[in-house]
Amino acid sequence: MLSTKDVSYWYDNQEGALYKDVNLDFESGKLYGIIGSSGSGKTTLLTMLAGLDRPSKGEILYNDTSLKQISLSKYRNQYVSIVFQSYNLLPYMSAVDNVVTAMKITHSESENMRDKAMRTLAKVGIDETLAVKNVLKLSGGQQQRVAIVRAMCCDAPIVVADEPTGNLDETNTQEIITLFQELAHEQDKCVILVTHEKEVSKRCDIQYELSKKKFTQV
Amino acid sequence: MNFLKRAWQNITFKKGRSLLLIIVMTVIMVFIMAGLLIRNGAVATVENTKNEAGASVTLAADRQKAFSKMRKQASSSGERPSLNMESVSLKTVKKIAKLSQVKSYNVSVSTSVDADSFDSISTSSGSSVMMGGGGPQGESDDDSTTGDITVNGVNDMSTITEFKNNKSTIKSGRALNSDDVGTKNVVIENELAKENDLEVGDTITVKDTTSDTNSYELTIVGIYKASSTSTSQMMGPGQSDPSNTIYTAYDLANTFKGQSGKVDSATYSLNSPTQKSAFIKTAKKDINTNKFSLVADDSTYQQLKKSMKQMESFANKIVWLVAIAGTIILALIIILMVRERRYEMGVLLSLGESRIKIVGQLLVEMLMLLIVSLTLAGATGKFAGQALSKQMMSQITSTTTSSTDQPGRMGGAPTTGPSSNSGEKPSGQPNGQPGQTANNGTNKQNQPEMKLQISAVTLLQLGAFGFTIIAFAVLLASMNILRLEPRKILIG
Repeated sequence: MLSTKDVSYWYDNQEGALYKDVNLDFESGKLYGIIGSSGSGKTTLLTMLAGLDRPSKGEILYNDTSLKQISLSKYRNQYVSIVFQSYNLLPYMSAVDNVVTAMKITHSESENMRDKAMRTLAKVGIDETLAVKNVLKLSGGQQQRVAIVRAMCCDAPIVVADEPTGNLDETNTQEIITLFQELAHEQDKCVILVTHEKEVSKRCDIQYELSKKKFTQV
Repeated sequence: MNFLKRAWQNITFKKGRSLLLIIVMTVIMVFIMAGLLIRNGAVATVENTKNEAGASVTLAADRQKAFSKMRKQASSSGERPSLNMESVSLKTVKKIAKLSQVKSYNVSVSTSVDADSFDSISTSSGSSVMMGGGGPQGESDDDSTTGDITVNGVNDMSTITEFKNNKSTIKSGRALNSDDVGTKNVVIENELAKENDLEVGDTITVKDTTSDTNSYELTIVGIYKASSTSTSQMMGPGQSDPSNTIYTAYDLANTFKGQSGKVDSATYSLNSPTQKSAFIKTAKKDINTNKFSLVADDSTYQQLKKSMKQMESFANKIVWLVAIAGTIILALIIILMVRERRYEMGVLLSLGESRIKIVGQLLVEMLMLLIVSLTLAGATGKFAGQALSKQMMSQITSTTTSSTDQPGRMGGAPTTGPSSNSGEKPSGQPNGQPGQTANNGTNKQNQPEMKLQISAVTLLQLGAFGFTIIAFAVLLASMNILRLEPRKILIG
């Protein structure tokens, strides 16, 4: 579904590249974990997979078509949902409005977007009272759930998440990972998590470790 | 239309910021509104003035040509020259008055008589008022042909500049009009009436200066009050006190003068100053241009036009300065706002929202606030405009007054009549009194009243200015948005 073809990335010069000629494959219905130490470049790989950045060399392919051909904006709009460590919700909206707004922007197919958003939020523990509250009034764990629901409700086949449990406690972390598993296994999405927590990556179906500028499957 | 809802949610969520922006926009809009109102008011006032003020053209003897003729005669005959000012035929005056451009006309015959049954007022050099002149109380020692009472023969007093400008006003009785032609009605000055215990309905007797034997009994139908400043300003050495000026019908003045069917000058009021050239061109066909001249006086209109043009120019400057400053101020505010909202825009970009729609959201937010500002500006702009126009008007008036209050045009100016009503000048006297200013005292009276009215057009203009300012400001700020890289914003 999604693959990297000889992807290299560097900031200033090729000699200082984060990694060279990376070739990875990601399939739908699976939860992937990319693990590595801080500053190793795992988030950079995620931004390329999310269509937020371009590789210095090589290309990212979605269903064998280069993202260059699709255009990053269209790719982000139609094929990928992103969950950030800092949730990245729109601060002037309620939880349900955040979800509905994302559904509208991504042209998700649903007869009643608000109902679908409410149902999905309820499934992750955000009841109606919380759903209509401004997101800034929710706890970190609740905000991250809203961010995940946003990804769930959009029809994008790929979900990428950057340290989604980085700001959460143990209980919330486990619940969030369960949600990602459901997203992959029940909704047949390709879910890719970037994390530095081994406990989180252990719950993924496939783990790639970035070490010494190379990705290896654990 | 998702971005419209987002715009609404944003401005209602950040109420404080929205309120601040409304205040800033309202201030800008109020100034633009005031400028637009003043500009439109000035244009309308010029247009109204054009229609109302009209212009006057005076037909009288051409003094320059009369002087040339006099000098020629003097050099050929070797005698002492005398200036012969031709009178205008009444028939010609009436023929020209029938032209389509003429709204009304007035004729003027100036002469002098001697007071017989009453005392004229004489003034010593120390300005103390004394009784003198003819009559039982004291015979005049002056043997000259100039009488002690100045007679202004007219056919309609209401068209005389002094009365039109309210410098002189009817105190009791009435002014003379065309119905008084053929009568021996007279309007005398208040001081003269007081000194002689005369009232409306009384009669006075005067003697003409040509024979000094013909006596005329005149009926007082009105008493007028000359302006308080005229005494000091209009009098010159050897001149009669202005209180000694009386008004009669022109035919009676002709009788005093010993002539008939002629007038010293005729002043035509035109329908519009724009008809001035066409009128003169047509009227010239009916006069002997070697002897007579037609001189236009649209000074009232020109003066008002000048003031209004200045107002319009100031108002235009205000509009453009505020518009430019407003654009810059708003652009800076929006740029700061965009910096503050980079994160939000990064989120939208990461969701795949187009940059155009993000700019659109910003524009819609500003337009929503602009609508509130326009409403407030529409409600308050008129008051600001009035205050501003009053200030500007007084500034312009003081500038105009100081520039026109130069030492007066001295007697003997080459033109007859146009700078003041010729009907008020005694025959053979130079136009303009010594020490009299050309537009003496008329500035304040001519100060136009500018009506500031909010019309649909003004509101549309204001809206257009507001929209343009917002559009420019958002466009400037959008350059930042278009450069935004979601990765740098969201994963920084």
